Amino acid sequence: MRRRCAPHVLPAPASGCSGIKLSATRSCDSWFFFFFPPPFEVESQEQSGGGGGGPTARVVSAGGCSLFSSTLSRSFVARRDFSLQPFPFAMAGAIIENMSTKKLVIVGVILLLFQAFAFMVGGLIAPSPTTAVHYLATKCVDTVKQRQETKWFMPWGPNQCDKIRTFDEAMAKKIEANNIVFAVHIPLPNKEMSSWFQFMLVILQFDIAFRMHNQIKDGALVTIDVSLAYRDDTISKWTEMAHSFEQRKLSCNFTTTKTSENEGRHYECDLLPFMEVGSVAHKYYLLNIRLPINERKNINVGIGEIKDIRLVSIHQNGGFTKVWFAMKTFLTPSILIIMIWYWRRITLMSRPPVLLEKVILALGISMTFINIPVEWFSIGFNWTWMLLFGDIRQGIFYSMLLSFWIIFCGEHLMGTRLFAAWSLERGQVKMCESGLPTITELVTELGSHLTNNLQDQTERNRLSVYWKQVGPIVFGSFCLFIFDMCERGVQLKNPFYSIWASEVGTELAMAFIIVAGICACLYFLFLCFMVFQVFRNISGKRTSLPAMSKARRLHYEGLIFRFKFLMLVTLTCAAMTVIFFIISQVNGGHWHWGEHTVQVNSAFFTGIYGMWNLYVFAIMFLYAPSHKRYGDEQSSGQCITGDAGANSGEDNQLTTTITHVDGPTEIYKMIGKEAQE
Amino acid sequence: MFCETLRMIYLGCFLLLCGLTHVMASYPIWWSLAVGHQYSSLGTQPILCGSIPGLVPKQLRFCRNYVEIMPSVAEGVKIGIQECQHQFRGRRWNCTTINDNLAIFGPVLDKATRESAFVHAIASAGVAFAVTRACAEGSATICGCDTRHKGTPGEGWKWGGCSEDVEFGSMVSREFADARENRPDARSAMNRHNNEAGRTSLNDNMFLKCKCHGLSGSCEVKTCWWSQPDFRAIGDYMKDKYDSASEMVVEKHKESRGWVETLRPKYNYFKPPTDRDLVYYESSPNFCDPNPQTGSFGTRDRICNLTSHGIDGCDLLCCGRGHNTRTEKRKEKCHCIFHWCCYVSCQECVRVYDVHTCK
Repeated sequence: MRRRCAPHVLPAPASGCSGIKLSATRSCDSWFFFFFPPPFEVESQEQSGGGGGGPTARVVSAGGCSLFSSTLSRSFVARRDFSLQPFPFAMAGAIIENMSTKKLVIVGVILLLFQAFAFMVGGLIAPSPTTAVHYLATKCVDTVKQRQETKWFMPWGPNQCDKIRTFDEAMAKKIEANNIVFAVHIPLPNKEMSSWFQFMLVILQFDIAFRMHNQIKDGALVTIDVSLAYRDDTISKWTEMAHSFEQRKLSCNFTTTKTSENEGRHYECDLLPFMEVGSVAHKYYLLNIRLPINERKNINVGIGEIKDIRLVSIHQNGGFTKVWFAMKTFLTPSILIIMIWYWRRITLMSRPPVLLEKVILALGISMTFINIPVEWFSIGFNWTWMLLFGDIRQGIFYSMLLSFWIIFCGEHLMGTRLFAAWSLERGQVKMCESGLPTITELVTELGSHLTNNLQDQTERNRLSVYWKQVGPIVFGSFCLFIFDMCERGVQLKNPFYSIWASEVGTELAMAFIIVAGICACLYFLFLCFMVFQVFRNISGKRTSLPAMSKARRLHYEGLIFRFKFLMLVTLTCAAMTVIFFIISQVNGGHWHWGEHTVQVNSAFFTGIYGMWNLYVFAIMFLYAPSHKRYGDEQSSGQCITGDAGANSGEDNQLTTTITHVDGPTEIYKMIGKEAQE
Repeated sequence: MFCETLRMIYLGCFLLLCGLTHVMASYPIWWSLAVGHQYSSLGTQPILCGSIPGLVPKQLRFCRNYVEIMPSVAEGVKIGIQECQHQFRGRRWNCTTINDNLAIFGPVLDKATRESAFVHAIASAGVAFAVTRACAEGSATICGCDTRHKGTPGEGWKWGGCSEDVEFGSMVSREFADARENRPDARSAMNRHNNEAGRTSLNDNMFLKCKCHGLSGSCEVKTCWWSQPDFRAIGDYMKDKYDSASEMVVEKHKESRGWVETLRPKYNYFKPPTDRDLVYYESSPNFCDPNPQTGSFGTRDRICNLTSHGIDGCDLLCCGRGHNTRTEKRKEKCHCIFHWCCYVSCQECVRVYDVHTCK
């Protein structure tokens, strides 16, 4: 029930209007009313003051906010709550507070249904997200010495190359290493690749046998001469796509003792990143790999007895891509519509939006940016940059989400100064009761407090206040962006490039990742600290709640509720993400459930993706300004003067006058009235 | 090489003595695939299924349907036997094969001994291993994507990829190697169990490898796959199982289709054998002396290790008969520089060895 009565009582003075940008008091005034919509029960339609902008009766005559230090402050004092309000609770009167518990539950259930649906789509309809296919390179023999054009070696099918099975055979036939070509055709026979596969990455693995006299040297580098070709039907010629000389560091260890007993056992070698293409536009790919030897230049010497080359290619499953696209296509309009609706509400308010509102919009925009299914184009076009673009979109969303959390906390942080002002207020009321001898003194004192508060609020409402918290996010994402550009960006040019292949590259990459990690830690420290501060404030408020006037109490309760609601939802979402992540990592990928196979990994991706979409959706919906504000001028005025409830014409009159007058007499009147009540 | 020649001489004696080609109904004659060069995977002619000796009708059907994977089956048996010979290299029975006999191990495997159990298991594991390998090489086209599920294989592949080749390898091994082990007798039951134990061991020794490829290479998206181990690891594992094989007793039950023999652990105070354990129900001969009936070649003239106290040591290997020692000068390659593939530049050194052979 608490929720039903909105916290519209407390004026939030400055954030929108005070200081810098806002000069027109009209706008200042009208947006006060946004913050003080009437209580839900009051439903003051009967006194509709004209639905739209601010109340005409109350337009402050003062020329601009810049003058307010003396003028406005007094009028604030007059509406005593103004001065004592710690902070621009910019979003007082959000839908979430004005909504009845029943409606909120209904919304929650609908969202949960969608959530369950998202999980089910992934778990039951989609196949597993990716497929890994093993390839064992066929050892072909290049018999011709010097040839003009590049010859492509096919491992199987018509026109297959001359094969050897083992290198003992090659030794017997006196075939040189430089004439051996490892050929891998992707995919395997009777299959073809499809642009639905989205991307393809290939991992390289050497099978190296241990020999007492031919061991892998420390830090051995393999130099690979690799070329990639494609074709779109089984008969046409191969077209070269890329050709490169690559170096990879062999990091192999031999787990058993290095004795002649154990000759022939294989080393355990790390997987080597080999190739990454951001679009699978062709049906057939062919890899020809050579390991050229040059003893003088020390190329490919001391790399042990390589028995075989294995490749593993990973691509996204077509079925998963289709389900994913369908989801995106469905989600884009939903988020887009709610975003437009949300922003329309904000602009309808005739005051400039506050920071938090802008951040929520930005969150919506970044979500839409991820959602927009531009990947559809990758089906028709050969856009290799799609992978990189996807990373960038994801990165933008993550940094937006993190910034949103910080700013949300910050904007709900009730400064300590508030308490000073607030306790002062209470003292003031007492003084009023006792006959108001030193009212002028009081006003000056309050005025100074007010100015401080206003300054604080002005600062709060700017993004620059949060540089300390947002800085790490921006810097961290920038680092990751640079890293990604270095890896996937370069791969646009050379699909065989890997930043991890070179010594310097590895260090650079590690540096970027470590810096990003430090940024993430910093960020979470800040966030935790801020959340802690807000909670400390809340508990402080709690104790003093009963002593407050009803309107103020409702306001604070609304604030606290709003904050706690978001905390709860966010934590639930984060916990869900973590739990499902762990489940999908630990589990082998699918569960058998009677007849059905549940694809846990796919369910994780669609479910979590759906969840964050719903999260953004819910925030934009629930934290949008309530339209109940439209009929609220009268009642908010009322709330300002008297505590909620009494709807007398006398009060209204009083309110309307306040804004015009600034003087001790009016204040005296006001306070007197308060005291009486 | 020396050893080999000796063995051949012995073999000759053997065949003279026995003058028989041991062909029994239970003997997996098709293992001779491993010996015939015409079955190698690089052979240009396709395998003629009718020419493979000892196939039962089911195997023949299988061969005709999947003729392209028959070279891998042959290859599988071959690597199984090679591994057997490696694992048993220092033992009294060293997994000797007889070249010009269809029963390639001779009569050793006629009895339901530990050795039989091991050979069956390693051969069936070898078939599964080699087929999986051939699938990865692309030399067999029917692997992976099974058409049992929805749509054409192409559609299945595009929608959700294909099942792992490993399962296919095991399937082939099960279909082919177990095809003949369908009689209701104890030996068939034992072979079935041991074949399955070999395949299970192979699957157990697979290791999972993963690659993270999410945002900036994070593990947000991770793909894992099962990778086959080096076959030596399977050999080691099976050797352990050989050492701890369970002895069984045969029980007869009357069932609707007649008398059925099943196996039951002989000793109740030992743990009953699991799917991975080898079982046998007849004790092995000691392989010390040549015996045409048991297929033992004896250990005479086998090279033994003087310093070892294990089974390859001269005491045990020579069954207490003692050993001869002679000195040999061998020319060896030394100070070699290896290139990864096929070129080694070496000097030649002469070394003197003491060679101990059993009396």
